Amino acid sequence: MSRRGCLALGVAALAALAAVPLVVRRDDVLNFLFLVLLSVALAQSWNVVAGYAGQINLGHAAFFGLGALVTRTLWIAEWPVLAGAALGALAATAFALLVGAVAFRLRGAYFAIGTLALGEILRITVGNVLPEVSTLPTATIGAYRLADRYYFALALAAAAVGVVAALERSRAGLGMQAVREDEEAAEASGVGTLRLKLLALVLSTALAGLAGGLFAYYHISYYPAHPFGPHWTFDALLITFIGGVGTVHGPVLGAVFYVFLKEYLAIRWVDFHLLIFGVLFITIVLLLPGGLVEAAARLRTLARRAC
Amino acid sequence: MILVQQLVLGLLVGGLYGLAAAGLSLVFGVLKVLNVAHGELIMLGGYGAFWLWVLLGFDPLLALPLVVAGALAFGVLLYWGLFAFVVRAHEETRIKNSLLIGFGLALATHALAVRLWTADERSITTTYAGAVLSLGPIAIPLVRLASLVLAFALIGALHLLLQRWRWGRAIRATAEDWEAAALTGIDVRRAYLLAFAIGTGLAGAAGTLVSVGYSISPSIGLEWTLKALIVVVLAGLGSMLGTFVGGLVLGLAEAASAFAFGGPYREVVGLVIFLAVLVARPRGLFAR
Amino acid sequence: MLEVEAVEAAYGPFLALSGVTLRVGPGEIVALLGPNGAGKTTLIRCVTGLLVPRAGRIRFGGAEIVGLLPHAIVERGLAVVPEGRRLFGGMTVEENLDLGAFTPHARAGLGRGRERIYEIFPILRERRRQLAGTLSGGQQQMVAIGRALMAAPRLLILDEPSLGLAPRIVETILGVIGEINRSGVSILLVEQNVQAALGLAHRAYILEAGRVAGEGNGPALLQDPHVRRAYLGPLASLPGSRPPLP
Repeated sequence: MSRRGCLALGVAALAALAAVPLVVRRDDVLNFLFLVLLSVALAQSWNVVAGYAGQINLGHAAFFGLGALVTRTLWIAEWPVLAGAALGALAATAFALLVGAVAFRLRGAYFAIGTLALGEILRITVGNVLPEVSTLPTATIGAYRLADRYYFALALAAAAVGVVAALERSRAGLGMQAVREDEEAAEASGVGTLRLKLLALVLSTALAGLAGGLFAYYHISYYPAHPFGPHWTFDALLITFIGGVGTVHGPVLGAVFYVFLKEYLAIRWVDFHLLIFGVLFITIVLLLPGGLVEAAARLRTLARRAC
Repeated sequence: MILVQQLVLGLLVGGLYGLAAAGLSLVFGVLKVLNVAHGELIMLGGYGAFWLWVLLGFDPLLALPLVVAGALAFGVLLYWGLFAFVVRAHEETRIKNSLLIGFGLALATHALAVRLWTADERSITTTYAGAVLSLGPIAIPLVRLASLVLAFALIGALHLLLQRWRWGRAIRATAEDWEAAALTGIDVRRAYLLAFAIGTGLAGAAGTLVSVGYSISPSIGLEWTLKALIVVVLAGLGSMLGTFVGGLVLGLAEAASAFAFGGPYREVVGLVIFLAVLVARPRGLFAR
Repeated sequence: MLEVEAVEAAYGPFLALSGVTLRVGPGEIVALLGPNGAGKTTLIRCVTGLLVPRAGRIRFGGAEIVGLLPHAIVERGLAVVPEGRRLFGGMTVEENLDLGAFTPHARAGLGRGRERIYEIFPILRERRRQLAGTLSGGQQQMVAIGRALMAAPRLLILDEPSLGLAPRIVETILGVIGEINRSGVSILLVEQNVQAALGLAHRAYILEAGRVAGEGNGPALLQDPHVRRAYLGPLASLPGSRPPLP
């Protein structure tokens, strides 16, 4: 599909989604779409580092959690939520820069398990320092409007997709992809690999921090350590890989597929979707590293040949 | 004397950390495969022992050989079904792929376990479960002591196996230089299979001992994978006895930190040590 | 015994061998010479099964061996002393030797084979419980040769055995190679020490840029002006030294 076609489709989808709360009055539909949009945003944020800088960050939830933590704290302290979210993203990014230079000394699998450990350290520490449920004050609960959360999510998801799309075509993005393909070769040809990786990390964690802010805005009560939990990272990883890591629409396809399947199966079997996704994930890693996007491309080629 | 009591308990669990790590270390060292589903294999071993006890009344410590045998067989199937494909790539791709595949495996196994056995915690409480050896003011739970001894015995047996058994030496040779091993006449694929099966067997053993002295649930996988990873990174690859000692060190470190900073931070010290060692060796565990 | 026919081999897009043909007959010592990067080690990797050639045939003892895994080729009686020795440094001398007799075909004669190695290299008997990684270069080379001999081969390939060794040790090694050949084992010797190799070999091939650029019997090649100019310049007349840099 051409770039113009893609853009047109994107705008159309955006418009359609924006119209939903005006047309549909059902909360369950809005909640479902919210979940999809949050997943898109979080997965795209993870996609930046994995798909473009080529590193598997298993501690991604740390940035999601930090964004949520800062946003929630400020918002309950009567700051406007958007300001809180912005500061949440800033906090996440600051932390990322703090650990990034050191973390990026690790390669491949060691980076992955290292970030996993880091994420867990944060989760446990937050869980110990703030063991009690964070609940919104009654007045705020009374003024809760789902549509506000929905539009925030829509804007964030659109922004995340936009950032990745812009990155893919930019010089920085191409540099990152060079790093992803062969880091040593890129380094030898003068590409500033650390700077590019840090740039990817900044974009990734800023988006994740904003997604965390969205989470804090959406939920009435939750344990502060909850958004630091590794399953947020794993969800993002699954969605991105199944959809197609390193592509713009992969995480979108993956998120829709994932949330649909999860909600559908949750009616009968909680968490069973993970069994299916686990197997699907293994299949994709072994046979179809490009995920659903690659599968779709191959089907199209097949269809073209058949016709 | 609370500190000494904590340290003793830390030592007791440290033996299991060492056993858990030994399996992971063997597979990582020989196949260059990072099986992050190792904790799930431990979990399955624990459930194996649990169901043998509940359904057939087998005492878990006596049923240990059965669980290990089952785990060995499962390891063979798992290798042929999955990891045999992973080892076709060269080292860097192999490690990355095995990480991802291990992740998918862990996810699927965890979900399956929840589906089959619910998310409840289980523990095996035999008649002798509450027995305690008292050394002055220190209380040593006998079951955990027995587990430590068994863990050490298994590690010792593994060490002897790798030293004396023809295929044990072949495994060590393959870990050092697989091409030279192949040129010496060793069927490297068979060495991989054996190492992976033994690694899984060790995981099964660790799981059994965890289900007796502690408790199991479908969610213990990630926790034990992390423990094993910490010990492997701490102790380095290559020596099974060294790995066992590394496990003991982790157990002691956790106990000391729980005493110093309070119980909830027990888990953090291991992770911090892990990160520190990783960052100090950025080229990973295989660099000389 | 060993027939290499029009073998082509590549590493990805880079063609390392573009049609190599050579033979090693029973009881012969054949030398394979050539500058760095000519493809000598690539050829050895093809013969030993570590690399699958993209064209050509390799026959050992009359049977096609392309596509066989390395251990199966060793089983058939072809052993190699790899470049850089590649011992198992964390294992003792004796463990390294014993591993050499891993294949069923060699295992029967393990005890006897080990004794024979200790007779050829008495110093290894002294150091048999020492870790192989702690030995000197010359001793390591002995262990590497010993390990390969333990496989009871009919053809022994040596890839740069004199590299990095002192002249006296090189002489010993060359003497041993001659002895091994006299006991009935064919030898394929890859060497940069042209003088030493040609002094020992019955025949030699010269490999340049992935193909055979010359062939002949040892002493005759030693007199060949092209060979002398290319490989026996003033610096290269010392045993153990490398050909002059381009």
